[in-house]
Amino acid sequence: MDWLIDRLRSFAGKSALADGGKVYTYAQLAARIEEHGSLLAARGVQPGRVVALVAEYSFDSIALFFALVRHRTIVVPVTTGVGGELDDRFADAFVDDVIRIEDDISIQPGPPRAGGTHALVQRLRDAGHSGLVLFSSGSEGKPKAMLHDFDNLADHYRARPARDSVMMVFLMFDHIGGMNTLLNCLAMGALMVIPDSRVPERVCSLIEQHKVQILPASPTFLNLVIISEAFRHHDLSSLRLVTYGTEPMPESLLLRLSEAFPGAKYLQTFGTSETGIAKTSSLSCTSTLMKIDDPDQEYRIVDGELWLKSKTQILGYLNAPMDGFTDDGWFKTGDLVETAADGFLRIVGRRKEVINVGGQKVMPAEVESVLLTAPGVEDCMVFGEANALTGQAVTADVVLGEPRPPLAVKKALRLFLRTKLDAYKIPTRINVVDRTNFNQRFKKIRHKDDSSPGGSV
Amino acid sequence: MKEKILSIIYAALNDASEELGKPELARPGPETHLYGRKGHLDSLALVNLLADVEQRVADDLGKAIVLADERAMSQKRSPFATAGTLADYIELLLSEG
Repeated sequence: MDWLIDRLRSFAGKSALADGGKVYTYAQLAARIEEHGSLLAARGVQPGRVVALVAEYSFDSIALFFALVRHRTIVVPVTTGVGGELDDRFADAFVDDVIRIEDDISIQPGPPRAGGTHALVQRLRDAGHSGLVLFSSGSEGKPKAMLHDFDNLADHYRARPARDSVMMVFLMFDHIGGMNTLLNCLAMGALMVIPDSRVPERVCSLIEQHKVQILPASPTFLNLVIISEAFRHHDLSSLRLVTYGTEPMPESLLLRLSEAFPGAKYLQTFGTSETGIAKTSSLSCTSTLMKIDDPDQEYRIVDGELWLKSKTQILGYLNAPMDGFTDDGWFKTGDLVETAADGFLRIVGRRKEVINVGGQKVMPAEVESVLLTAPGVEDCMVFGEANALTGQAVTADVVLGEPRPPLAVKKALRLFLRTKLDAYKIPTRINVVDRTNFNQRFKKIRHKDDSSPGGSV
Repeated sequence: MKEKILSIIYAALNDASEELGKPELARPGPETHLYGRKGHLDSLALVNLLADVEQRVADDLGKAIVLADERAMSQKRSPFATAGTLADYIELLLSEG
Protein backbone atom coordinates (compact mmCIF):
# COMPACT_ATOMS: atom_id res chain seq x y z
CA MET A 1 0.00 0.00 0.00
CA ASP A 2 2.86 2.38 0.76
CA TRP A 3 3.86 2.36 -2.90
CA LEU A 4 0.64 4.16 -3.79
CA ILE A 5 1.08 6.84 -1.14
CA ASP A 6 4.69 7.35 -2.26
CA ARG A 7 3.49 7.67 -5.80
CA LEU A 8 0.86 10.26 -4.88
CA ARG A 9 3.60 12.31 -3.21
CA SER A 10 5.83 12.04 -6.27
CA PHE A 11 3.12 13.56 -8.47
CA ALA A 12 3.36 16.62 -6.18
CA GLY A 13 1.98 19.66 -8.01
CA LYS A 14 -0.07 17.77 -10.61
CA SER A 15 -3.83 18.10 -10.43
CA ALA A 16 -5.43 15.09 -8.75
CA LEU A 17 -9.10 15.75 -8.12
CA ALA A 18 -11.67 18.21 -9.40
CA ASP A 19 -14.45 18.33 -6.85
CA GLY A 20 -17.19 20.92 -6.42
CA GLY A 21 -15.50 23.73 -8.31
CA LYS A 22 -12.08 23.16 -6.74
CA VAL A 23 -9.06 21.38 -8.14
CA TYR A 24 -6.75 19.69 -5.63
CA THR A 25 -3.15 18.68 -6.30
CA TYR A 26 -1.52 15.37 -5.49
CA ALA A 27 0.52 17.11 -2.79
CA GLN A 28 -2.70 18.34 -1.19
CA LEU A 29 -4.20 14.87 -1.42
CA ALA A 30 -1.13 13.26 0.17
CA ALA A 31 -1.17 15.87 2.94
CA ARG A 32 -4.87 15.31 3.62
CA ILE A 33 -4.30 11.55 3.81
CA GLU A 34 -1.65 12.25 6.49
CA GLU A 35 -4.04 14.47 8.44
CA HIS A 36 -6.81 11.91 8.34
CA GLY A 37 -4.33 9.21 9.33
CA SER A 38 -3.42 11.17 12.45
CA LEU A 39 -7.07 11.66 13.22
CA LEU A 40 -7.74 7.92 13.00
CA ALA A 41 -4.85 7.19 15.34
CA ALA A 42 -5.97 9.90 17.76
CA ARG A 43 -9.53 8.57 17.77
CA GLY A 44 -8.38 5.05 18.51
CA VAL A 45 -9.38 3.40 15.24
CA GLN A 46 -7.09 0.35 15.33
CA PRO A 47 -5.65 -1.50 12.35
CA GLY A 48 -7.76 -4.53 11.48
CA ARG A 49 -11.07 -2.85 12.36
CA VAL A 50 -13.90 -3.01 9.88
CA VAL A 51 -14.83 0.59 9.16
CA ALA A 52 -17.86 1.73 7.20
CA LEU A 53 -17.27 4.96 5.30
CA VAL A 54 -20.62 6.55 4.52
CA ALA A 55 -19.89 9.08 1.82
CA GLU A 56 -19.98 10.00 -1.84
CA TYR A 57 -16.78 10.61 -3.77
CA SER A 58 -15.16 13.86 -2.67
CA PHE A 59 -11.65 15.13 -1.97
CA ASP A 60 -12.17 14.40 1.73
CA SER A 61 -13.80 10.99 1.39
CA ILE A 62 -11.06 9.83 -0.99
CA ALA A 63 -8.34 11.07 1.37
CA LEU A 64 -10.09 9.33 4.25
CA PHE A 65 -10.42 6.13 2.27
CA PHE A 66 -6.68 5.99 1.62
CA ALA A 67 -5.92 6.96 5.22
CA LEU A 68 -8.05 3.98 6.27
CA VAL A 69 -6.45 1.43 3.96
CA ARG A 70 -3.00 2.72 4.81
CA HIS A 71 -3.96 2.25 8.45
CA ARG A 72 -4.70 -1.38 7.48
CA THR A 73 -8.38 -1.27 8.29
CA ILE A 74 -11.06 -3.04 6.28
CA VAL A 75 -13.13 -0.35 4.60
CA VAL A 76 -16.80 -0.68 3.71
CA PRO A 77 -17.66 2.25 1.43
CA VAL A 78 -21.38 2.91 1.49
CA THR A 79 -22.98 5.72 -0.47
CA THR A 80 -25.67 7.70 1.24
CA GLY A 81 -28.25 6.64 -1.34
CA VAL A 82 -28.55 3.27 0.39
CA GLY A 83 -30.91 4.83 2.96
CA GLY A 84 -32.68 2.46 5.31
CA GLU A 85 -30.52 -0.49 4.31
CA LEU A 86 -27.50 0.99 6.08
CA ASP A 87 -27.94 -0.98 9.29
CA ASP A 88 -28.30 -4.25 7.39
CA ARG A 89 -25.11 -3.50 5.51
CA PHE A 90 -23.23 -2.70 8.70
CA ALA A 91 -24.38 -5.95 10.28
CA ASP A 92 -23.64 -8.05 7.19
CA ALA A 93 -20.13 -6.65 6.86
CA PHE A 94 -19.26 -7.05 10.59
CA VAL A 95 -18.70 -3.29 10.84
CA ASP A 96 -16.89 -2.14 13.99
CA ASP A 97 -16.85 1.61 13.35
CA VAL A 98 -18.95 3.94 11.23
CA ILE A 99 -17.41 7.10 9.80
CA ARG A 100 -19.51 9.85 8.30
CA ILE A 101 -18.29 13.00 6.66
CA GLU A 102 -20.64 15.85 7.31
CA ASP A 103 -19.45 19.26 8.55
CA ASP A 104 -16.98 17.31 10.55
CA ILE A 105 -15.78 13.73 10.55
CA SER A 106 -17.80 11.61 12.96
CA ILE A 107 -16.66 8.20 14.15
CA GLN A 108 -19.24 6.05 15.88
CA PRO A 109 -19.37 2.41 16.93
CA GLY A 110 -21.11 0.00 14.56
CA PRO A 111 -24.22 -1.94 15.59
CA PRO A 112 -23.71 -4.26 18.56
CA ARG A 113 -23.22 -7.90 17.68
CA ALA A 114 -23.11 -11.07 19.71
CA GLY A 115 -20.14 -12.97 18.31
CA GLY A 116 -16.68 -11.99 17.14
CA THR A 117 -15.74 -11.10 13.64
CA HIS A 118 -15.84 -13.22 10.47
CA ALA A 119 -13.07 -15.76 9.89
CA LEU A 120 -12.11 -14.07 6.60
CA VAL A 121 -11.79 -10.71 8.32
CA GLN A 122 -9.58 -12.36 10.91
CA ARG A 123 -7.44 -13.79 8.13
CA LEU A 124 -6.82 -10.30 6.72
CA ARG A 125 -6.03 -8.98 10.19
CA ASP A 126 -3.53 -11.75 10.74
CA ALA A 127 -1.89 -10.97 7.40
CA GLY A 128 -1.76 -7.28 8.28
CA HIS A 129 -3.48 -6.32 5.04
CA SER A 130 -6.10 -3.71 4.36
CA GLY A 131 -9.48 -4.82 3.08
CA LEU A 132 -12.39 -3.60 1.02
CA VAL A 133 -15.97 -4.76 1.29
CA LEU A 134 -18.26 -4.18 -1.69
CA PHE A 135 -21.91 -5.14 -1.86
CA SER A 136 -23.57 -6.85 -4.80
CA SER A 137 -26.61 -5.17 -6.26
CA GLY A 138 -29.22 -7.31 -4.67
CA SER A 139 -30.88 -7.86 -8.03
CA GLU A 140 -30.54 -11.59 -7.34
CA GLY A 141 -31.64 -11.54 -3.72
CA LYS A 142 -30.09 -10.01 -0.63
CA PRO A 143 -26.95 -7.93 -1.39
CA LYS A 144 -23.83 -9.99 -0.81
CA ALA A 145 -20.94 -8.52 1.18
CA MET A 146 -17.74 -9.31 -0.72
CA LEU A 147 -14.37 -9.06 0.95
CA HIS A 148 -11.33 -8.04 -1.10
CA ASP A 149 -7.74 -8.00 0.07
CA PHE A 150 -7.23 -4.34 -0.81
CA ASP A 151 -3.41 -4.49 -0.83
CA ASN A 152 -3.69 -7.20 -3.41
CA LEU A 153 -6.34 -5.39 -5.45
CA ALA A 154 -4.35 -2.15 -5.51
CA ASP A 155 -1.20 -4.00 -6.59
CA HIS A 156 -2.96 -4.78 -9.85
CA TYR A 157 -2.63 -1.04 -10.70
CA ARG A 158 1.00 -0.71 -9.71
CA ALA A 159 2.40 -1.18 -13.23
CA ARG A 160 0.32 1.67 -14.69
CA PRO A 161 2.66 4.17 -16.34
CA ALA A 162 2.42 7.82 -15.34
CA ARG A 163 0.21 9.71 -17.74
CA ASP A 164 -1.27 13.19 -18.04
CA SER A 165 -4.90 12.49 -18.61
CA VAL A 166 -8.23 13.72 -17.36
CA MET A 167 -10.82 11.17 -16.44
CA MET A 168 -14.40 11.47 -15.28
CA VAL A 169 -15.48 9.12 -12.51
CA PHE A 170 -18.93 7.83 -13.23
CA LEU A 171 -19.53 5.14 -10.63
CA MET A 172 -19.10 5.53 -6.88
CA PHE A 173 -16.55 3.87 -4.68
CA ASP A 174 -19.01 1.36 -3.36
CA HIS A 175 -18.81 -0.15 -6.85
CA ILE A 176 -15.89 -2.03 -8.38
CA GLY A 177 -16.16 0.17 -11.49
CA GLY A 178 -15.84 3.35 -9.45
CA MET A 179 -12.98 1.86 -7.45
CA ASN A 180 -11.28 0.88 -10.70
CA THR A 181 -11.45 4.45 -12.01
CA LEU A 182 -10.08 5.82 -8.74
CA LEU A 183 -7.14 3.42 -8.61
CA ASN A 184 -6.38 3.90 -12.30
CA CYS A 185 -6.35 7.68 -12.00
CA LEU A 186 -4.21 7.83 -8.90
CA ALA A 187 -1.74 5.19 -10.07
CA MET A 188 -1.23 7.12 -13.33
CA GLY A 189 -1.21 10.59 -11.82
CA ALA A 190 -4.28 11.58 -13.82
CA LEU A 191 -6.84 14.20 -12.91
CA MET A 192 -10.11 12.67 -11.76
CA VAL A 193 -13.21 14.81 -12.22
CA ILE A 194 -16.00 14.11 -9.73
CA PRO A 195 -19.38 15.12 -11.17
CA ASP A 196 -21.81 16.76 -8.75
CA SER A 197 -24.72 15.36 -10.73
CA ARG A 198 -25.20 12.70 -13.37
CA VAL A 199 -27.62 14.67 -15.48
CA PRO A 200 -26.26 14.41 -19.07
CA GLU A 201 -26.22 18.19 -19.48
CA ARG A 202 -24.12 18.62 -16.32
CA VAL A 203 -21.73 15.82 -17.17
CA CYS A 204 -21.16 17.29 -20.65
CA SER A 205 -20.58 20.74 -19.18
CA LEU A 206 -17.91 19.30 -16.83
CA ILE A 207 -16.27 17.50 -19.76
CA GLU A 208 -16.00 20.84 -21.54
CA GLN A 209 -14.81 22.72 -18.45
CA HIS A 210 -12.07 20.25 -17.45
CA LYS A 211 -11.28 19.00 -20.96
CA VAL A 212 -12.04 15.46 -19.89
CA GLN A 213 -10.38 12.87 -22.12
CA ILE A 214 -11.69 9.63 -20.72
CA LEU A 215 -15.34 9.01 -19.91
CA PRO A 216 -16.36 5.70 -18.38
CA ALA A 217 -20.13 5.26 -18.61
CA SER A 218 -22.94 2.79 -19.09
CA PRO A 219 -24.75 2.37 -22.42
CA THR A 220 -27.97 3.58 -20.76
CA PHE A 221 -26.28 6.83 -19.75
CA LEU A 222 -24.62 7.31 -23.13
CA ASN A 223 -28.00 6.94 -24.80
CA LEU A 224 -29.37 9.67 -22.51
CA VAL A 225 -26.54 11.94 -23.65
CA ILE A 226 -27.66 11.37 -27.23
CA ILE A 227 -31.41 11.73 -26.76
CA SER A 228 -31.07 14.80 -24.52
CA GLU A 229 -28.85 16.28 -27.25
CA ALA A 230 -26.58 17.41 -24.41
CA PHE A 231 -23.59 16.62 -26.61
CA ARG A 232 -24.63 19.39 -29.03
CA HIS A 233 -24.55 22.10 -26.36
CA HIS A 234 -20.95 21.62 -25.25
CA ASP A 235 -17.52 21.35 -26.75
CA LEU A 236 -16.63 17.72 -26.14
CA SER A 237 -13.70 17.62 -28.52
CA SER A 238 -11.33 16.77 -25.64
CA LEU A 239 -12.86 13.27 -25.36
CA ARG A 240 -10.42 10.63 -26.56
CA LEU A 241 -11.85 7.49 -25.06
CA VAL A 242 -15.30 6.42 -23.96
CA THR A 243 -15.34 3.21 -21.99
CA TYR A 244 -18.56 1.36 -21.45
CA GLY A 245 -19.58 -1.55 -19.34
CA THR A 246 -22.03 -2.84 -16.72
CA GLU A 247 -24.52 -3.97 -19.38
CA PRO A 248 -24.45 -5.05 -23.04
CA MET A 249 -23.88 -2.26 -25.55
CA PRO A 250 -26.40 -2.25 -28.40
CA GLU A 251 -24.34 -2.10 -31.61
CA SER A 252 -26.85 0.39 -33.03
CA LEU A 253 -26.14 2.77 -30.13
CA LEU A 254 -22.40 2.40 -30.63
CA LEU A 255 -22.84 3.58 -34.22
CA ARG A 256 -24.88 6.61 -33.16
CA LEU A 257 -22.26 7.45 -30.53
CA SER A 258 -19.48 7.34 -33.09
CA GLU A 259 -21.40 9.93 -35.10
CA ALA A 260 -22.00 12.12 -32.04
CA PHE A 261 -18.38 12.00 -30.77
CA PRO A 262 -16.31 11.44 -33.88
CA GLY A 263 -12.99 12.09 -32.11
CA ALA A 264 -13.40 9.43 -29.44
CA LYS A 265 -12.46 5.80 -29.39
CA TYR A 266 -14.71 3.27 -27.72
CA LEU A 267 -13.61 0.52 -25.40
CA GLN A 268 -15.67 -2.16 -23.71
CA THR A 269 -14.62 -2.71 -20.11
CA PHE A 270 -15.42 -5.88 -18.28
CA GLY A 271 -15.30 -7.01 -14.73
CA THR A 272 -17.26 -8.21 -11.78
CA SER A 273 -17.25 -7.20 -8.13
CA GLU A 274 -16.05 -10.72 -7.38
CA THR A 275 -13.03 -10.74 -9.70
CA GLY A 276 -12.11 -7.10 -10.29
CA ILE A 277 -11.89 -5.29 -13.61
CA ALA A 278 -10.07 -7.07 -16.44
CA LYS A 279 -7.91 -5.34 -19.01
CA THR A 280 -9.76 -5.53 -22.30
CA SER A 281 -9.41 -4.40 -25.87
CA SER A 282 -12.20 -3.85 -28.38
CA LEU A 283 -11.93 -5.12 -31.95
CA SER A 284 -12.81 -1.66 -33.25
CA CYS A 285 -14.67 1.44 -32.16
CA THR A 286 -17.88 0.28 -33.77
CA SER A 287 -17.64 -3.32 -32.63
CA THR A 288 -18.93 -4.88 -29.46
CA LEU A 289 -16.39 -7.68 -29.83
CA MET A 290 -13.71 -7.55 -27.15
CA LYS A 291 -10.79 -9.50 -25.89
CA ILE A 292 -9.77 -10.11 -22.30
CA ASP A 293 -6.08 -9.25 -22.32
CA ASP A 294 -4.99 -9.46 -18.74
CA PRO A 295 -2.11 -11.39 -17.24
CA ASP A 296 -3.99 -11.41 -13.91
CA GLN A 297 -7.19 -12.92 -15.30
CA GLU A 298 -7.94 -16.27 -16.86
CA TYR A 299 -11.24 -17.02 -18.49
CA ARG A 300 -13.12 -19.93 -19.95
CA ILE A 301 -16.53 -20.37 -21.50
CA VAL A 302 -18.78 -23.09 -20.16
CA ASP A 303 -22.18 -23.63 -21.82
CA GLY A 304 -21.97 -20.14 -23.28
CA GLU A 305 -21.33 -18.61 -19.85
CA LEU A 306 -18.16 -16.68 -19.07
CA TRP A 307 -16.13 -17.98 -16.12
CA LEU A 308 -13.28 -15.95 -14.63
CA LYS A 309 -10.42 -16.67 -12.33
CA SER A 310 -8.33 -13.71 -11.30
CA LYS A 311 -5.54 -12.73 -8.97
CA THR A 312 -7.76 -9.93 -7.71
CA GLN A 313 -10.74 -11.99 -6.75
CA ILE A 314 -12.51 -11.74 -3.43
CA LEU A 315 -11.52 -13.76 -0.40
CA GLY A 316 -15.18 -14.61 -0.03
CA TYR A 317 -18.62 -13.42 0.98
CA LEU A 318 -19.23 -12.36 4.57
CA ASN A 319 -22.94 -13.11 4.51
CA ALA A 320 -23.48 -15.73 1.83
CA PRO A 321 -22.17 -19.13 0.72
CA MET A 322 -19.68 -19.31 -2.14
CA ASP A 323 -22.36 -20.20 -4.71
CA GLY A 324 -21.19 -18.99 -8.07
CA PHE A 325 -17.63 -20.15 -7.40
CA THR A 326 -16.43 -23.62 -8.32
CA ASP A 327 -14.33 -25.61 -5.85
CA ASP A 328 -11.23 -24.77 -7.86
CA GLY A 329 -11.89 -21.05 -7.73
CA TRP A 330 -13.63 -20.20 -10.99
CA PHE A 331 -16.29 -17.52 -10.77
CA LYS A 332 -19.36 -18.09 -12.92
CA THR A 333 -20.20 -14.56 -14.02
CA GLY A 334 -23.75 -15.23 -15.18
CA ASP A 335 -22.88 -13.39 -18.39
CA LEU A 336 -23.53 -15.18 -21.65
CA VAL A 337 -21.00 -14.64 -24.41
CA GLU A 338 -20.58 -15.38 -28.08
CA THR A 339 -17.15 -16.19 -29.39
CA ALA A 340 -15.60 -14.98 -32.62
CA ALA A 341 -12.27 -15.55 -34.35
CA ASP A 342 -8.94 -14.70 -32.69
CA GLY A 343 -10.18 -14.94 -29.12
CA PHE A 344 -12.75 -12.14 -29.40
CA LEU A 345 -15.91 -12.31 -27.28
CA ARG A 346 -19.20 -10.51 -27.20
CA ILE A 347 -21.29 -10.13 -24.07
CA VAL A 348 -24.85 -10.93 -25.10
CA GLY A 349 -26.62 -10.62 -21.78
CA ARG A 350 -27.24 -12.04 -18.36
CA ARG A 351 -28.17 -15.68 -18.06
CA LYS A 352 -31.10 -14.79 -15.80
CA GLU A 353 -32.40 -12.24 -18.31
CA VAL A 354 -32.75 -14.72 -21.16
CA ILE A 355 -36.40 -14.84 -22.18
CA ASN A 356 -37.70 -18.31 -22.97
CA VAL A 357 -40.55 -18.14 -25.48
CA GLY A 358 -41.92 -21.63 -25.89
CA GLY A 359 -38.42 -23.09 -25.62
CA GLN A 360 -36.73 -20.54 -27.84
CA LYS A 361 -34.22 -18.20 -26.27
CA VAL A 362 -34.37 -14.46 -26.70
CA MET A 363 -31.63 -12.09 -25.54
CA PRO A 364 -33.14 -8.72 -24.55
CA ALA A 365 -30.08 -6.85 -25.80
CA GLU A 366 -30.50 -8.16 -29.33
CA VAL A 367 -34.10 -6.97 -29.53
CA GLU A 368 -33.23 -3.63 -27.92
CA SER A 369 -30.46 -3.02 -30.41
CA VAL A 370 -32.88 -3.42 -33.33
CA LEU A 371 -35.70 -1.48 -31.64
CA LEU A 372 -33.36 1.48 -31.18
CA THR A 373 -33.05 1.75 -34.95
CA ALA A 374 -36.83 2.11 -35.39
CA PRO A 375 -38.06 5.58 -36.33
CA GLY A 376 -39.15 7.57 -33.29
CA VAL A 377 -37.71 5.22 -30.64
CA GLU A 378 -35.32 7.03 -28.31
CA ASP A 379 -34.81 4.39 -25.67
CA CYS A 380 -36.18 0.97 -24.90
CA MET A 381 -35.97 -1.95 -22.54
CA VAL A 382 -36.91 -5.53 -23.31
CA PHE A 383 -37.76 -8.15 -20.72
CA GLY A 384 -39.75 -11.33 -20.26
CA GLU A 385 -43.19 -11.65 -18.69
CA ALA A 386 -44.88 -14.85 -17.64
CA ASN A 387 -47.31 -16.21 -20.19
CA ALA A 388 -49.52 -19.25 -19.77
CA LEU A 389 -49.22 -20.23 -23.43
CA THR A 390 -45.52 -19.88 -24.15
CA GLY A 391 -44.03 -19.83 -20.66
CA GLN A 392 -42.73 -16.34 -21.20
CA ALA A 393 -43.50 -13.61 -23.68
CA VAL A 394 -41.34 -10.69 -24.81
CA THR A 395 -42.35 -7.24 -23.60
CA ALA A 396 -40.79 -3.94 -24.58
CA ASP A 397 -40.98 -0.57 -22.89
CA VAL A 398 -40.27 2.18 -25.38
CA VAL A 399 -39.57 5.88 -24.97
CA LEU A 400 -40.73 7.95 -27.94
CA GLY A 401 -39.49 11.29 -29.20
CA GLU A 402 -43.04 12.40 -30.01
CA PRO A 403 -46.24 11.16 -28.36
CA ARG A 404 -48.26 8.71 -30.52
CA PRO A 405 -51.22 6.46 -29.68
CA PRO A 406 -49.92 3.21 -28.08
CA LEU A 407 -51.80 0.84 -30.39
CA ALA A 408 -50.51 2.60 -33.49
CA VAL A 409 -46.98 2.50 -32.06
CA LYS A 410 -47.26 -1.20 -31.37
CA LYS A 411 -48.50 -1.96 -34.86
CA ALA A 412 -45.83 0.15 -36.54
CA LEU A 413 -43.02 -1.30 -34.44
CA ARG A 414 -44.13 -4.90 -34.92
CA LEU A 415 -44.25 -4.38 -38.67
CA PHE A 416 -40.79 -2.74 -38.52
CA LEU A 417 -39.33 -5.62 -36.50
CA ARG A 418 -40.89 -8.33 -38.65
CA THR A 419 -38.30 -7.94 -41.38
CA LYS A 420 -35.40 -7.82 -38.93
CA LEU A 421 -36.03 -10.41 -36.23
CA ASP A 422 -37.39 -13.94 -35.92
CA ALA A 423 -41.08 -13.90 -35.05
CA TYR A 424 -40.56 -15.26 -31.53
CA LYS A 425 -38.22 -12.36 -30.69
CA ILE A 426 -40.75 -9.68 -31.58
CA PRO A 427 -42.33 -8.16 -28.47
CA THR A 428 -45.86 -9.27 -27.75
CA ARG A 429 -46.48 -6.28 -25.57
CA ILE A 430 -45.13 -2.83 -26.30
CA ASN A 431 -45.66 -0.22 -23.60
CA VAL A 432 -45.04 3.44 -24.22
CA VAL A 433 -43.26 4.86 -21.16
CA ASP A 434 -41.71 8.18 -20.16
CA ARG A 435 -38.37 6.59 -19.26
CA THR A 436 -37.00 3.10 -19.05
CA ASN A 437 -36.44 1.50 -15.69
CA PHE A 438 -32.81 2.15 -14.87
CA ASN A 439 -31.16 2.45 -11.49
CA GLN A 440 -29.09 5.24 -9.98
CA ARG A 441 -26.03 3.78 -11.67
CA PHE A 442 -27.68 4.12 -15.08
CA LYS A 443 -28.05 0.44 -15.62
CA LYS A 444 -31.28 -1.06 -16.92
CA ILE A 445 -33.32 -3.18 -14.54
CA ARG A 446 -35.03 -5.73 -16.76
CA HIS A 447 -37.94 -6.55 -14.58
CA LYS A 448 -40.79 -4.38 -13.54
CA ASP A 449 -41.10 -4.58 -9.80
CA ASP A 450 -37.52 -4.09 -8.75
CA SER A 451 -36.12 -0.74 -7.86
CA SER A 452 -33.03 -2.08 -6.10
CA PRO A 453 -29.79 -0.49 -7.20
CA GLY A 454 -26.86 -2.09 -8.90
CA GLY A 455 -26.33 -5.27 -10.88
CA SER A 456 -23.31 -6.94 -12.33
CA VAL A 457 -20.66 -4.54 -13.49
CA MET B 1 -71.74 -5.90 -25.10
CA LYS B 2 -71.05 -9.00 -27.19
CA GLU B 3 -71.00 -6.90 -30.36
CA LYS B 4 -68.54 -4.46 -28.83
CA ILE B 5 -66.27 -7.32 -27.75
CA LEU B 6 -66.45 -8.92 -31.18
CA SER B 7 -65.53 -5.63 -32.85
CA ILE B 8 -62.47 -5.41 -30.61
CA ILE B 9 -61.44 -8.96 -31.59
CA TYR B 10 -62.00 -8.16 -35.27
CA ALA B 11 -59.85 -5.04 -35.07
CA ALA B 12 -57.05 -7.10 -33.51
CA LEU B 13 -57.47 -9.78 -36.20
CA ASN B 14 -57.24 -7.13 -38.91
CA ASP B 15 -53.86 -6.06 -37.56
CA ALA B 16 -52.77 -9.69 -37.31
CA SER B 17 -53.86 -10.29 -40.88
CA GLU B 18 -51.66 -7.46 -42.07
CA GLU B 19 -48.71 -8.43 -39.92
CA LEU B 20 -48.82 -12.13 -40.73
CA GLY B 21 -49.78 -11.68 -44.37
CA LYS B 22 -52.93 -13.80 -43.89
CA PRO B 23 -55.80 -12.32 -45.93
CA GLU B 24 -58.19 -14.96 -44.53
CA LEU B 25 -58.16 -13.06 -41.22
CA ALA B 26 -59.00 -9.72 -42.81
CA ARG B 27 -62.78 -10.28 -42.81
CA PRO B 28 -63.37 -12.09 -39.55
CA GLY B 29 -66.69 -13.32 -38.17
CA PRO B 30 -67.73 -15.22 -35.04
CA GLU B 31 -66.83 -18.51 -36.73
CA THR B 32 -63.30 -17.45 -37.69
CA HIS B 33 -60.99 -20.12 -36.35
CA LEU B 34 -58.19 -18.88 -34.18
CA TYR B 35 -56.20 -21.66 -32.56
CA GLY B 36 -56.57 -25.40 -32.80
CA ARG B 37 -57.18 -27.96 -35.54
CA LYS B 38 -58.64 -25.48 -38.04
CA GLY B 39 -56.94 -22.46 -36.56
CA HIS B 40 -55.24 -19.73 -38.53
CA LEU B 41 -52.82 -18.84 -35.75
CA ASP B 42 -49.81 -20.57 -34.27
CA SER B 43 -49.18 -20.25 -30.55
CA LEU B 44 -46.99 -17.21 -30.94
CA ALA B 45 -49.55 -15.41 -33.08
CA LEU B 46 -52.22 -16.35 -30.54
CA VAL B 47 -50.15 -14.88 -27.70
CA ASN B 48 -49.85 -11.67 -29.69
CA LEU B 49 -53.53 -11.56 -30.54
CA LEU B 50 -54.51 -12.05 -26.91
CA ALA B 51 -52.14 -9.32 -25.74
CA ASP B 52 -53.62 -7.04 -28.37
CA VAL B 53 -57.18 -7.82 -27.33
CA GLU B 54 -56.30 -7.31 -23.65
CA GLN B 55 -54.92 -3.89 -24.47
CA ARG B 56 -57.92 -2.91 -26.56
CA VAL B 57 -60.35 -4.05 -23.86
CA ALA B 58 -58.44 -1.93 -21.36
CA ASP B 59 -58.44 1.09 -23.71
CA ASP B 60 -62.03 0.81 -24.95
CA LEU B 61 -63.85 -0.67 -21.97
CA GLY B 62 -61.62 0.47 -19.14
CA LYS B 63 -61.27 -3.07 -17.74
CA ALA B 64 -58.05 -4.98 -17.16
CA ILE B 65 -58.41 -8.65 -18.06
CA VAL B 66 -55.94 -11.51 -18.47
CA LEU B 67 -56.68 -13.90 -21.30
CA ALA B 68 -53.63 -16.15 -21.37
CA ASP B 69 -53.67 -17.82 -17.99
CA GLU B 70 -54.29 -21.17 -16.35
CA ARG B 71 -57.99 -20.54 -16.07
CA ALA B 72 -58.37 -20.04 -19.80
CA MET B 73 -56.34 -23.19 -20.41
CA SER B 74 -58.53 -25.26 -18.15
CA GLN B 75 -61.89 -24.32 -19.68
CA LYS B 76 -63.84 -27.30 -21.00
CA ARG B 77 -64.13 -25.67 -24.39
CA SER B 78 -61.08 -23.71 -25.40
CA PRO B 79 -61.86 -19.98 -25.39
CA PHE B 80 -59.34 -19.66 -28.19
CA ALA B 81 -61.11 -21.85 -30.77
CA THR B 82 -62.93 -19.08 -32.62
CA ALA B 83 -63.54 -15.35 -32.42
CA GLY B 84 -66.96 -16.20 -31.00
CA THR B 85 -65.69 -18.45 -28.18
CA LEU B 86 -63.12 -15.81 -27.28
CA ALA B 87 -65.85 -13.16 -27.13
CA ASP B 88 -67.93 -15.42 -24.84
CA TYR B 89 -64.97 -15.89 -22.53
CA ILE B 90 -64.23 -12.16 -22.40
CA GLU B 91 -67.89 -11.47 -21.65
CA LEU B 92 -67.67 -13.95 -18.77
CA LEU B 93 -64.55 -12.27 -17.39
CA LEU B 94 -66.13 -8.81 -17.68
CA SER B 95 -69.34 -9.95 -15.99
CA GLU B 96 -67.29 -10.94 -12.96
CA GLY B 97 -66.18 -7.34 -12.65
